[in-house]
Amino acid sequence: MTSPTASTAPGAPGAPTAPTIGTGPLASIRGWVDLYVATMRISIASQIQYRVSNYFYMIGMVTEPVIYLVVWSTVARQQGGEVGGFTPGEFAAYYIVWTLVRNMNIALTPWAWEERVRGGELSGMLLKPVHPIHNDLAGLAGWKAVVIVLWLPIAAFLSLIFQPTYSIEPIDVVVFLVAIWGAYVLRSMFLWLLGLVTFWTTRVGPVFDIFFVAELLLSGRLVPLTLMPDWAQQLADVLPFKWTFSFPIEALIGRLPADQLLRGLGMQVLWIAISASIVAACWRLAVRRFSAVGG
Amino acid sequence: MPEPAIRVADLRKTFRVPVREAGLAAAARSLFRREHRDVHAVDGVSFTIEPGEVVGFLGPNGAGKTTTLKMLSGLLYPTAGEAIVLGNVPSRRQSDFLRRITMVMGNRNQLQWDLPALDSFELIRAIYRLEPTAFRQTRDEFIDLLDLRELVSKPVRNLSLGERMKMEFVGALLHRPQVLFLDEPTLGLDVTMQKRIRSFVAEYNRRFGATVLLTSHYMADVQALCRRVIVIHHGRILFDGALADLSTRFDSTKTIGVTLRDGTADLSAYGEVLSTEEGRTLLRVSRGDAPDVTTRLLRDLPVLDLTIEDPPIEDVIERVFADARDERPTAGAVAGGGRE
Amino acid sequence: MTGTGPAPTTAGGRDLLRPLKLFGLFFRIGALNELQYRANLAVQLFQSALALGTGLAVLGLVFGQTTNLGGWTQSELLAVMGVHILMGGVIRTAIQPNMERLMTDVRQGTLDFVLTKPEDAQVMISVREFRIWQAVDVVVGAIVLAIAVAQLQSGIGLGPGLVFAGCLLLGAVMIYCFWLILTTAAFWIVRMDELHELFDGIYQSGRWPVTIYPGWLRISLTYLVPIAFAVTLPAEALTSRLTIETLALAAAFAVLLLVVTRWFWRLGLRNYSGASA
Repeated sequence: MTSPTASTAPGAPGAPTAPTIGTGPLASIRGWVDLYVATMRISIASQIQYRVSNYFYMIGMVTEPVIYLVVWSTVARQQGGEVGGFTPGEFAAYYIVWTLVRNMNIALTPWAWEERVRGGELSGMLLKPVHPIHNDLAGLAGWKAVVIVLWLPIAAFLSLIFQPTYSIEPIDVVVFLVAIWGAYVLRSMFLWLLGLVTFWTTRVGPVFDIFFVAELLLSGRLVPLTLMPDWAQQLADVLPFKWTFSFPIEALIGRLPADQLLRGLGMQVLWIAISASIVAACWRLAVRRFSAVGG
Repeated sequence: MPEPAIRVADLRKTFRVPVREAGLAAAARSLFRREHRDVHAVDGVSFTIEPGEVVGFLGPNGAGKTTTLKMLSGLLYPTAGEAIVLGNVPSRRQSDFLRRITMVMGNRNQLQWDLPALDSFELIRAIYRLEPTAFRQTRDEFIDLLDLRELVSKPVRNLSLGERMKMEFVGALLHRPQVLFLDEPTLGLDVTMQKRIRSFVAEYNRRFGATVLLTSHYMADVQALCRRVIVIHHGRILFDGALADLSTRFDSTKTIGVTLRDGTADLSAYGEVLSTEEGRTLLRVSRGDAPDVTTRLLRDLPVLDLTIEDPPIEDVIERVFADARDERPTAGAVAGGGRE
Repeated sequence: MTGTGPAPTTAGGRDLLRPLKLFGLFFRIGALNELQYRANLAVQLFQSALALGTGLAVLGLVFGQTTNLGGWTQSELLAVMGVHILMGGVIRTAIQPNMERLMTDVRQGTLDFVLTKPEDAQVMISVREFRIWQAVDVVVGAIVLAIAVAQLQSGIGLGPGLVFAGCLLLGAVMIYCFWLILTTAAFWIVRMDELHELFDGIYQSGRWPVTIYPGWLRISLTYLVPIAFAVTLPAEALTSRLTIETLALAAAFAVLLLVVTRWFWRLGLRNYSGASA
C-alpha cells in the first residue's frame, strides 16, 4: 500500500502508479486467469439481459442444420437406409451436435471490426496495456457459456423429433470438451485475420465470402466430409477448416478411434500455433496502418 | 533536475486526404483520377512539460490539438519529429508505458453500457493487474470525491451524461496514471458538472503529482486548472506560456466600463465604443492610453462608476486566431499528388 | 391576393394506382442513388455467383448419391432452386430493405416523418426503399429457372406460365405480409435486430420442396412462415404438380394475410401515436 504524496507545487515527483499484483510467473498466470474470468463475467452479465433475442438467434441458427438433416435423411432412406456411412439416425446425431459446435464457433465478423474502428472503440483498446485479442477471446468465451446452457433444451427437443443414434465413450466426451474450445480459438484466429483486412479496405465482403464458402464445403458444415468427393476430402485434410467443425462433431458422436482423436487435437494445436503467429504479425502491420491513417 | 514528463521536438503529422467534389460528373471522374491534398494537422510543434504540470491546449477545431494528444498517447504515428513521454516513445505502445498514462475523451465511453460501473471497474482492475486492496482504496476514494456512491450500482445507460462522465473519469484513473490526456472532457456537461470534474482533476494533480494535458473549448476549464497554456492554430504553436501572459502578449488593450450619473453621453472621442447598455458604456482603449483616458473621463464627465479590465480571454484568443489567419497563407495547400 | 390555404393538388379522390406511382417514384430515386456505386454491382455479382455455385454443388452432392429426392428429379430441384433465388432477390430488393428501415424508424422515432405526409402510411413504408443491386439475384434466378425448364420434359406453355407468374405474385405478397406483421410487432417489442438473420435462416429451407420435411415442419413452413407458398408453390406450378385446390387455397390465404396485416398495422400505428407524447 502506498500513501499518496501531497504535492502542492508542480514539479514535485509524482506518486508511483497504482501497485500491481507483482511480477514473476505465478503472479503472471494468476493475472491472466483473473483477466479472463473478469472479462467473461462481464460478457455473461451483459448477454443475459438479452435472453429473448438470444433465443431468436439460436432458433434461426437451428434451421440450417435441420434442413441439411432432413435432406440427407431423405436421401439415406431412399438409398436403402444409409448413405456415405451415415444412417438417418446418425445424420441426426451429427447435425444436432452440429448446432452446438456451430454456436461455439461464432467469432467476431469483419463488420464488427469495421464498427470498432469507425466508432472509436479501437482507440480505447489500443490504450490498454493488454493485446485486444484477449478481450475478444475472453468476452466471446463468456457468451459461449450462456449459449451452452441455452442449447441444451434445443438439443433435447431436436433429439425427441429426429431420434439420433450414437455410441459415446467417456474419452469421446473429454476430447469433445477440449476440442470445442480448440475449435473456438482456432476460428477466432481466422476471423481476426479477416477482421484485420478491414484496416486496408472497406470491401472485405468478397474475401469473407470466399472464406465462408470454402469453410462451408470443406469443414463438414454442409455435409459430413465422407459425403464429399475424394479430392475434396483430401483437400479438407490439409486445410484447417476440418478441425473447427467436423472433428469435434465426429469426436463426440463416437465415430473416431482413439488415435484419430489424438491426431485431431494435435492438428488443432498446430493450426492454432500457425494462425496465432500470422495474427501477431498482421496485427502489428494493422496497428501501423491505423496509426498512420488515424481513427 | 528531474526528467521532463513530456518532451516534443518538431513534431509533425500530415494526412493525405482525397479531394472530392459534389456532383455525378466529378464522382465519375474520381474513379479514374485520384486527387489528394496534404493536410498538415501538426506542423512542427515543440514543447517540454515537467512532471506535475497542468497544461491547457487551446485552439479552434482542426487546429491540431487532438492530433497532438493522439500522437502523445501512441494512437497515431508522427510523420516526423520526436515525442518522448515518461521516457518512452509512445508509438511503440509498450505495456509499461500504457500503464502509466490515460486518455479521456469527451463523448466516448469505455464503460460497459448495460452493467453497473462497479463491474467495469473490476474489469479495469484485471486489465491493469492492480493489487486488490490498493485498488479498492483508490476506487472508493474517487467514488467519494465525485459523490458517486449511489450511482455505481446502476447500469451506466441509466445515468445522465454528467454522471456518466464522472464515472468515466473514475474508470480512467483507477490505475493512477502519471500522465493524463484529457480531450474535451467537459464537452456537453452543465456548469455544475464541469466544476466538479475540474476540481477532481485538480485534486488528482495535487495528490499524485500527475501531469495533465487538457484540451477544451471552455475557457473556464483552462482558467480553473491550467497555469500554462499552449495555443495551437493550423498545426503550429502560437503561444506557450503562462495564462496570465496571454492577454499581455496578444492583446494590448484594456476595457473601460463607464457609468455616468446622468444618462448616456457619446464617448466615442475617448476610445472605441464596444457597447452601451443600461447607461453603462464599454470602451476599448490601448493599454498605454488607459491611464490617460481614465483621467480625462473622470475629469470631464460626472462618472458614477468606472472599471478597468483586461479583455475576456475568449476575445483575446479569438483575436489571436483572427490575426494568425490573416498573416499566414492557407495551410494544407494542394501539394503532392493532386493534378490540376 | 395569392390563395390562402394548402397548396392545390392534382385531381383528388381515391387513386388506386397511387401505390404503384409511389413505388415508381421511389424506385427511380433509389436506382439513381445506387447506380453511382458501380462497385456494389461487382460485389453483388460475386456474391450471387458464390451462392449459386454452392447451391449447385449441394445439388450435385445429393444427386451423386441418388436419382430423385422425395419424388423430385434433379431438373425439378433445379427449378426449385431457381424460384428460390429469384424470390430471394425480390425479397432482398423490395421487401426487406423497407422492413429494416421501418424498424429503425420505430426505434429512433423518425417514423413521424412518414406519418405527417399525406400518403397512406402503410404504402409509404412499403415502397420507399429499393436495393437495386440485389435484383441481380432475380436475373440469376430467372436464368436458372429457364435452364431447368428447358431440361424438363414437359416444356412450358402460356397457361402454366401465367399460373406460375400468379403463384410468384401470391408468394411475394405473402412474404411481404409476413415481414410486415413481424416488423409491426416492433411497435411493442422495440429490439428486433436479429429478425433479419432469423428470416434468412428460415428462408434457406425453401431451397428444397417443403414436401420432404416432416409434417409439423411442413405446416410451419406453410402457414407460419409462408415459404411453401413463396417457393414450392410456383415450382409446383412449373412441374405440373399444382392442383386447383392448392391454388385456391393459396389465393384465399393471401387475401386473409393482407387483411390481417392491414389490421395489425393500424393497431400498431395507433399504439405508436398514442405512446409518443
